[in-house]
Amino acid sequence: MDTSQPTPIVAVENAGVHFPIGHGQVLKAVDGVDLAVMPQETFGIIGESGSGKTTLGRAIICLEKPSIGRILHAGIDPYSLSARELRRHRRQYQIVFQDPNAALDPRMTILKSIREPMDVAGDLPDRDRRARAVELMERVGLSPDFANRYPHELSGGQKQRVCIARVLTLRPSLIVCDEAVSALDVSIQADILNLFAELQAEFGLTYIFITHNLGVVAHVSDRVAVMYLGRIVELGRTEDVVLHPAHPYTEALLSAEPVALPSQLRPDKRVVLKGELPSPISPPSGCRFRTRCRFAQPLCAAQEPPWRETAAGHWSACHFAGELPIMSAAELHPHKQRESASRLGVHHE
Amino acid sequence: MTGPFPVAIGGTAAGQAAPLLDVRGLGISFRNGPSAVQVTRDVSFAIAPGEVVGLVGESGCGKTVTGLALMGLLPRATSLVEGDVVLEGENLIGMSQRRLRQRRGAKISMIFQEPMSALDPVFTIGEQISETLRAHRSIDPREARERGIEALARVGIPEPALRYDAYPHQLSGGMRQRAMIAIAIVCEPRLLIADEPTTALDVTVQAQIVDVLGDLCSRLGMAMLFITHDLGLVAQTCSRLVTMYAGEVIEEGRIDDVLVSPRHPYTSGLLRSLPALAERKTRLPAIPGRVPALGEIPEGCRFRARCSFSRSPCEVSQTLDPVPPAALVRCCRHGELALKGVL
Repeated sequence: MDTSQPTPIVAVENAGVHFPIGHGQVLKAVDGVDLAVMPQETFGIIGESGSGKTTLGRAIICLEKPSIGRILHAGIDPYSLSARELRRHRRQYQIVFQDPNAALDPRMTILKSIREPMDVAGDLPDRDRRARAVELMERVGLSPDFANRYPHELSGGQKQRVCIARVLTLRPSLIVCDEAVSALDVSIQADILNLFAELQAEFGLTYIFITHNLGVVAHVSDRVAVMYLGRIVELGRTEDVVLHPAHPYTEALLSAEPVALPSQLRPDKRVVLKGELPSPISPPSGCRFRTRCRFAQPLCAAQEPPWRETAAGHWSACHFAGELPIMSAAELHPHKQRESASRLGVHHE
Repeated sequence: MTGPFPVAIGGTAAGQAAPLLDVRGLGISFRNGPSAVQVTRDVSFAIAPGEVVGLVGESGCGKTVTGLALMGLLPRATSLVEGDVVLEGENLIGMSQRRLRQRRGAKISMIFQEPMSALDPVFTIGEQISETLRAHRSIDPREARERGIEALARVGIPEPALRYDAYPHQLSGGMRQRAMIAIAIVCEPRLLIADEPTTALDVTVQAQIVDVLGDLCSRLGMAMLFITHDLGLVAQTCSRLVTMYAGEVIEEGRIDDVLVSPRHPYTSGLLRSLPALAERKTRLPAIPGRVPALGEIPEGCRFRARCSFSRSPCEVSQTLDPVPPAALVRCCRHGELALKGVL
């Protein structure tokens, strides 16, 4: 690697996670993924259920071992470390899950849950663990009164704050947020997203934001990767991907997202995909998206599309990337094109 | 015209034509030992024939309970329902169970968020569709099968004759939701209550289901109450919006009006906290605090504790006031506030 370039905090190199499912069949949840996440970046991964985004997130923090390829942490392959070194190393790489109810032990008090990672690590004296836990509780917006309460006494948003405080106790450098705000009401979701942004600035965190919610990903991410059936089909700077998608699947995702805008500012047409995600046990030949793609050609069934850069830093896996009549920014996001929109009054007839 | 949904035929809140559904002063309480906990209070709104109305609010605001009350599905032993739910001139509140059963499925139907728990796993899809048909029509099994397959085709299930004999576990999430819709609409009800019907589904499948529902509304002239927390979906599907907060209706209006100029600080707060519409990477204007728990509803305006505009007049209970030409709002300061919407 060129030494003038900063080392990515996570480099996924042609990695795959394959699960044997009996009868000699293999489910390739993640299959040949390449990406690099830079320090203090927010990297979004978007995809539908079954796309492999959660498995990829788990592999990134060593909860799944890659079956093929490798995943480097700041240039180090964690699986080259001894078991003891690996345990110490992975404290740097944390995850916040979707459902805080399932992530918290119902029989542990909030304080105990928050300090548990430090208790397991055993680096700090007892008094410092408690002090850090209380300090982090306050930092994430929980009153110290909650310390001796139990998870069932808290709301969903408060429980998610507990989960965030507890991953921060080990001073991680990277946090995978796997649908971390999906179960929350929109006003609470906004609160937690604000908190994530503040913590990033304060602790110099890197985030990998995994979600199916395009609005969330587009708001928080610097760059975004779109996954489909275990593969990344598009990757680029968020504004490039959202405004000028290169892959027909990204176009369909953008188009399917319902936007809370009055009728005159909503897109005139939508791309509604036919059918559902094919089984990842036997993905379609060639391009995996071809069975639902409105532009599919015979070539797409015969050959796997190459992963190529169609514009600076904008990658996609489509034989016809750059040549397709994909919906334009004005068609996908008419409200962004109309600066006069904010001056549009309500018309009562 | 955007979206698959027809523009409402009927009027607005004021209602020129006779409404299909008229909910007046619906109050629901749950018995809790010797006392009762109030869940909703004075919920009133109307739905015109063929109209699609959105019902929004955070979790715990009483949306689902309201939907269940309209269907008469709240357990009578533990819930007290007051007020009127008038469907095509008949009050469903206080109606005998026998007569109510004749209305449910035939005139008013409901679909739920999680199709797997709403469908019976030990019966085929076909058996569950024909059960509805045979409860309401005197129809022979062969005709029931034909009508059932027709209903499956209508909701966009491929190979409906094959799927008719499938069990719920053999279908994907999207297909199960379609099957549940087929059961709900097989008798061509006048009103469908859709309670978060796409929340458990992926966005591309959600788009398909929303299209199916829109298509059914326009083809059958069916009205729909769309219960959701997703304001984007409401914008796309509904012509009118009812916002609930802590068991009360706090705002009602035409969707395009409410999105641009909401009248209630709560509706404004919900719209502004949407990340999709905010400037990228900026701080989102969240609503502080959370919905009060049942039994902890504050005196006066229920939203007061979370509202940045609250003043002393907010300490008394608020009334739902008309705002010409077609809106209602429960906020004494609505005349003086210029609240931000989505733009």
